[in-house]
Amino acid sequence: MSTESGDRPGSSPDQSVSPSSTRKADYSSSVLRLWRPAAQRNLRNQWSNLVSGKLKWGSASDSGRAHATALVNAYLSQRCMISMELGVLKDLADIRPKACQKLSKQQDSHRCKLLSSYASLVAAVSQMVNAHESMRCYRNQATDSHIMKFSNTPADKNDNGDGGGIPVFTFLSVPFSENLAQELVEMFQFELTLKRLLILELLAVGCEEKDCDKMSWHDELYLGEFEDLALCHLYKTKAGEVSSTGLKGRHFGVPSEQKSKLNNATFQVYLTTWIAEVNIDSRRVNEILALVGEDMNVCFR
Amino acid sequence: MLFFIQSIKSTPIAVSDRSIDPLAVNTRTAMESMIKKYQQKFRKAKEEMDRWSEAQSRLISQFNNVSSIIERLPIIRKEENFGALSCVDGIADAVLSKQLQSLQSILLSMGDTLAEFRGVVLSLEKLHRDGGEFVRGGSSGQLGAKQLQQQIGLKPSLSDCLDGLKLLYNMHFAEYRLKSSIVSALPLIVFKSSISDLSSLRQLLADQPNIPPDEVRSILDIIFAEEIS
Repeated sequence: MSTESGDRPGSSPDQSVSPSSTRKADYSSSVLRLWRPAAQRNLRNQWSNLVSGKLKWGSASDSGRAHATALVNAYLSQRCMISMELGVLKDLADIRPKACQKLSKQQDSHRCKLLSSYASLVAAVSQMVNAHESMRCYRNQATDSHIMKFSNTPADKNDNGDGGGIPVFTFLSVPFSENLAQELVEMFQFELTLKRLLILELLAVGCEEKDCDKMSWHDELYLGEFEDLALCHLYKTKAGEVSSTGLKGRHFGVPSEQKSKLNNATFQVYLTTWIAEVNIDSRRVNEILALVGEDMNVCFR
Repeated sequence: MLFFIQSIKSTPIAVSDRSIDPLAVNTRTAMESMIKKYQQKFRKAKEEMDRWSEAQSRLISQFNNVSSIIERLPIIRKEENFGALSCVDGIADAVLSKQLQSLQSILLSMGDTLAEFRGVVLSLEKLHRDGGEFVRGGSSGQLGAKQLQQQIGLKPSLSDCLDGLKLLYNMHFAEYRLKSSIVSALPLIVFKSSISDLSSLRQLLADQPNIPPDEVRSILDIIFAEEIS
């Protein structure tokens, strides 16, 4: 049995192999012999895509937390500016309005950065979703050729790309691998929705001072967001609505647009919820990655 | 090379420079090699103390994480603080249980850090014990108090070495006991969530009252006096 030792991320799953005589929907042993190395390579690539998506999520979530904290702090300092004891600085002309202006500018920039962190989160999830959906390896043989090729897209509707459910490496079959990936990706999809809700609230911080309209759940937060969310299966293009599954499979009602004055405790709750990532069970995530890694003899870190 | 034979109190061993007694020369070289071996032990002790300071900064950051979670607990226990998030069913419970989970895992890793401190204490104890046996059972037989006090040039005396190792061990041992009692008190504070207790405990952890840095420095200065000059 050939085991591919070179792990080449991004390499095409297509593979040219020696001619094969039969082309049936069920897998003959000669086809399986050719299918397996191709499937192994593909599966390894997809899992490393998943892991790299998870890493991107981690750094985007971290930077998002930092920007959200900075935004809230700038807002709170601006709110305190009026009553702040300025000491010797109080005689400077226009010191308070200037400071407020500066803090408000800071908030704008933090809001921008927060939004771009959110966009990175969306990108990370769509990468993971894509990896999850590309785990099957289909035979793809041109009729006039004797070369057997494999690809991610089915050429034959009888071919479901799972090699008949045989273990690809040691014990994991394609469907089982997909189930694990599904479990993992789902956590991030739910968490993304929850984070979207938080983003919406955080972007509104400081907006009442400027009389700008608060964005609603149905608005696109950045240009092309809905397309990206559709790739994550979090946006139904036909109905034109964003998924509202915020917590472990439970839907929530779309938040009402009341303009409530936020207090410090609520800010702290928002930031804590951001850090807590309640939908992501990191112990289970590590368990899944350890299991898959062991099967493929790869260490995902 | 010129050696000064110094002695704290004037004793017959302190031979005058002119008439060099062969016996004294022998003892002197034996002493010098012994001191060298002790300095080796102090180098090892220094490495161990570096390990201690790494563990110390880890412990402080773990403590900071624990206290920020503990400070947040009362706030996330109240659902009215969840603002717009309250449209998500069960969010308050989920956040709370997740925070308690992270609290638990940080407390566990603090236990690992304590084990690291304990490792340093054990190494220092071994250095101290070996040092003592070295003098008592050394090849030169029993050494008198005078020889222990004898100092060659800038080199430390044997008793400086012995006392230094003992002190370093005692300091770190006492500090380890303090730290482990503070860490074991933490879970109780979680229930009381008293923030003033937390900040005073943090201060105590950061100060390391049993390990005065000046004293450590002066011990090492005596042992490695030649290298400083």
